[in-house]
Amino acid sequence: MTDTPSSDLPQEPAARRVDPAGLVVAAVLAVLAVVLVLDARQLPATTMYGMGPEAMPIVVAVGLGLLAIGNLIDGLRGNLPPRESADFKPVLLILGGLALLIAIIGFGGGFILATSALFVTTSAAFGRRALLADLIIALVMTTLIYLAFDRLLTLSLPAGPLERLL
Amino acid sequence: MIPFHTRLFGAVVALTLAAAAPALSQQLELKIMAPAAPGGGWDQTARAMQQALVAAKIARSIQVTNVAGAGGSVGIAQFVNGAKGDGNQMMVNGFVMVGALAMNKSPVTLEQVTPIARLTEEIQVIVVPANSPLKTAQDLAAAVKADIAKVTFAGGSTGGVDHVMAALFAGTIGADAKKINYIPFSGGGESLAAILGGKVTAGISGLSEYEGQIKSGKLRALGVTSEKRIAGLDIPTFKEQGIDLVIANWRSVVAPPGITPEQRKVLSEAVEKMVKSDAWKDILKQKGWDDAYLSGDAFADFLKKETARVTDVLKSVGLVKS
Amino acid sequence: METFVALAHGMAVAVQPMNLLYALIGVFLGTAVGVLPGIGPALTVALLLPVTYKLDPGGSLIMFAGIYYGGMYGGSTTAILINTPGESASMATALEGNKMAKAGRGGPALATAAIGSFVAGTLATIGLAFLAPLLVDFAVKFGPEDYFALMCVAFVTVSATFGDSPIRGLTSLFIGLTLGLIGIDKLTGQARLAFGIPELLDGVEVTTLAVGLFAVGEALYVASRRHHAEEKIEPVRGSLWMTMEDWKRSWKAWLRGTMFGFPIGALPAGGAEIPTFLSYSTEKRLTKHPEEFGKGAIEGVAGPEAANNASAAGTLVPLLTLGLPTSATAAMMLAGFQQYGLNPGPLLFAERPDLVWGLIASLFIANVMLLVLNLPLVGLWVRLLAIPQPWLYAGILVFATMGTIAAKPSVVELSMLAGFGVLGFLMRRYDFPIAPVVVGLILGPIAESQLRRALAISLGDPLVLLQSPMSATLLGIALIALLAPFVLKGMNRFKASED
Repeated sequence: MTDTPSSDLPQEPAARRVDPAGLVVAAVLAVLAVVLVLDARQLPATTMYGMGPEAMPIVVAVGLGLLAIGNLIDGLRGNLPPRESADFKPVLLILGGLALLIAIIGFGGGFILATSALFVTTSAAFGRRALLADLIIALVMTTLIYLAFDRLLTLSLPAGPLERLL
Repeated sequence: MIPFHTRLFGAVVALTLAAAAPALSQQLELKIMAPAAPGGGWDQTARAMQQALVAAKIARSIQVTNVAGAGGSVGIAQFVNGAKGDGNQMMVNGFVMVGALAMNKSPVTLEQVTPIARLTEEIQVIVVPANSPLKTAQDLAAAVKADIAKVTFAGGSTGGVDHVMAALFAGTIGADAKKINYIPFSGGGESLAAILGGKVTAGISGLSEYEGQIKSGKLRALGVTSEKRIAGLDIPTFKEQGIDLVIANWRSVVAPPGITPEQRKVLSEAVEKMVKSDAWKDILKQKGWDDAYLSGDAFADFLKKETARVTDVLKSVGLVKS
Repeated sequence: METFVALAHGMAVAVQPMNLLYALIGVFLGTAVGVLPGIGPALTVALLLPVTYKLDPGGSLIMFAGIYYGGMYGGSTTAILINTPGESASMATALEGNKMAKAGRGGPALATAAIGSFVAGTLATIGLAFLAPLLVDFAVKFGPEDYFALMCVAFVTVSATFGDSPIRGLTSLFIGLTLGLIGIDKLTGQARLAFGIPELLDGVEVTTLAVGLFAVGEALYVASRRHHAEEKIEPVRGSLWMTMEDWKRSWKAWLRGTMFGFPIGALPAGGAEIPTFLSYSTEKRLTKHPEEFGKGAIEGVAGPEAANNASAAGTLVPLLTLGLPTSATAAMMLAGFQQYGLNPGPLLFAERPDLVWGLIASLFIANVMLLVLNLPLVGLWVRLLAIPQPWLYAGILVFATMGTIAAKPSVVELSMLAGFGVLGFLMRRYDFPIAPVVVGLILGPIAESQLRRALAISLGDPLVLLQSPMSATLLGIALIALLAPFVLKGMNRFKASED
């Protein structure tokens, strides 16, 4: 499956420092492999003919295990590509918006409120400060979307207090 | 599925009625849940009900909701927990849900819902490719008894009606149902190709899916699962070939648990009126569904027996732990 | 010869002015609904089918063909413009198409997609008219072991989506394979990796994963880098239309895409994903501009888009000749035919030649209308990218979540979408390629179930893989494709040392 032998990799010159990110990736892959094996072991053997449902997870787990070793070596050698600094505040803001959306849908707040919340937080994450204007835009847009799905396509999106007024 | 015009018109009518004439008898505003994604069989049934109930003026408005997942397990859980005691909700279900609930160890069962009525059913068929040496159901039975592993059955999803039928066939002729070599395919198209290509011994499916192939002579039908022969089709039943195999892929509609007898009566009457309406008959014809209306205690009884039978079969093939 | 006469007759019916209008309306409605997230071509056809009820059979058939093509093109439009593929078949289109759109080349990307769809659709429809009976015999003989061998070929070629490092590419692929294991095992009904959560029993939805990784992940990544330099998206940089160079680079890709799409689409379990990925990797191998891949190479849009459309026409082969609906869209089309009194199947060509050729002619016309409607709209579509960045990304996220909310409004599904968004963000940040994850999710389960079917039929004898000539040939191709790069590299090194 490999068509680019390692000689093509960008050779990192002096900066051969251990990269913790590579170690974390290796650890995650190893944990995944263990989970797969444990899960496969609880499958009852009901298959009469051919291969059972536990075979494929084992194959994938072996692959994950090997890749964990590969990523570990890459991480120890510091073979990872260089990264630029990242600003996590907007990322957390957007994730907060997604969490809000999920919570609103989960508690029956309806489509319009949920997606409007996501719209406003995302817009703020990208640097806008006009919260009220964005909220109005979001409410109008999502109401139109809701009406289009509900009335024209007869597909029901989750309804909450706002949707019941329509 | 509802014609656009009708729907728009219906919406307009509903609005006008809501504003002007609350005295009209059609006060029903129902929610029907299809425990599957839009487009599938249960969704189509729910939308057909919506269309017929509104067209026949039995209900003022019907809203169809889709809750997809795990053969209906996700939908029924939401229905039983979320709609308890609500006399304005119904859910479409069918044969496949019985097996899915048992196999997925669902905490919610069909015993909890309030049965309303069975609506439609489809007869099943076993076919072989035209050049197969097997000519009758008894030939197939003999082949299964000779070497059960070598007789491969192609059909739909594991634990679905095709699979249950294969196990019943083996059980009825005295073979070990646990040993059947059943190969599930994801769609009728894929399994049909495997049968036509001679990759498997026999195929199991709903009759309508293979009817064209049977008529054209590419497939030979060994038997149908109805009590009596189907008019217009020269296919013997399993019963007349001495194999007691009667099964159908049915669809029905149920109400939430905990509703009052009055509420149940209102819903049952609405469904009964719907089944007798011309709108419903037109839809059945258009979709090629067979009417299998069964209501009240008779349906409740049927549901109980079918659940027991399917669970037994799934236990016999090892899909459900006893 | 008879075929020509019949086709000409069908054409004569289809080009009547009223029918042309129906085709245009169909394409318009199809595109309008198809661009909505969460609504793929199958659901588009399902939703709009009732619109055609009121027309006469000829008119409704042609409008239906228009809806079908419009729905397919609508999905590609969102893939290119906002990195939100509406279905798995337009995944490969999003890879290069969205990069092009961001570089101000959304116009040529949409144009090559539309024209490529047209070329592929036309060629594939000709193929349907003349080769259907031959192809169908071949398709039916294709057994589970042959499909497994075809998957092996696909697995070997996906390395084209791997980027620079094989270890990182394989890591991504295996994450996808792991995700593919989640849910009820199709062959035994046992739940794997579901941890008692009923929503997980159906497995991971391809569109949830793709939209999460692509659209949500991208939004998070761009947001995290805003403090560097605000990424400016110019809707149009250079020509809005395809240049001579673009045409030169596209036409071969269209033809090659068609060659992959049509025959594989005609296989009952072939689908559209494999040909689109095969086309993508082929274009990447053959291109004269390898440096552009990953940054917006037009071949990478032209090829997969043509393959996607050709495979859709390919699915009509088993549908019309055997009555075999081999995809969700084909199943909807079957429902459509039935309401016109058409019963697809072996007798159809003999019993109702007028309707069959009418349909094939309709497909031609609908294809033309797709171009007529969509090329002028290209300029309008790319203007969408001129929306200020905060609103653009907020809108993209609303669209992305809306698709999931419309299909499965559950907390579990939405959490998965958000989780895949985070995964996409982290993978971008630590430079793991994204596409192989989705490839693994799509191909893994197919390969597994076909292999297990083959082994169940052979009662566990693995030799079945070599006994079928088709499967043996395909496995040979996979082996060659796997080893060839090493051999070539070795020869190059040998040559280099000689110099």
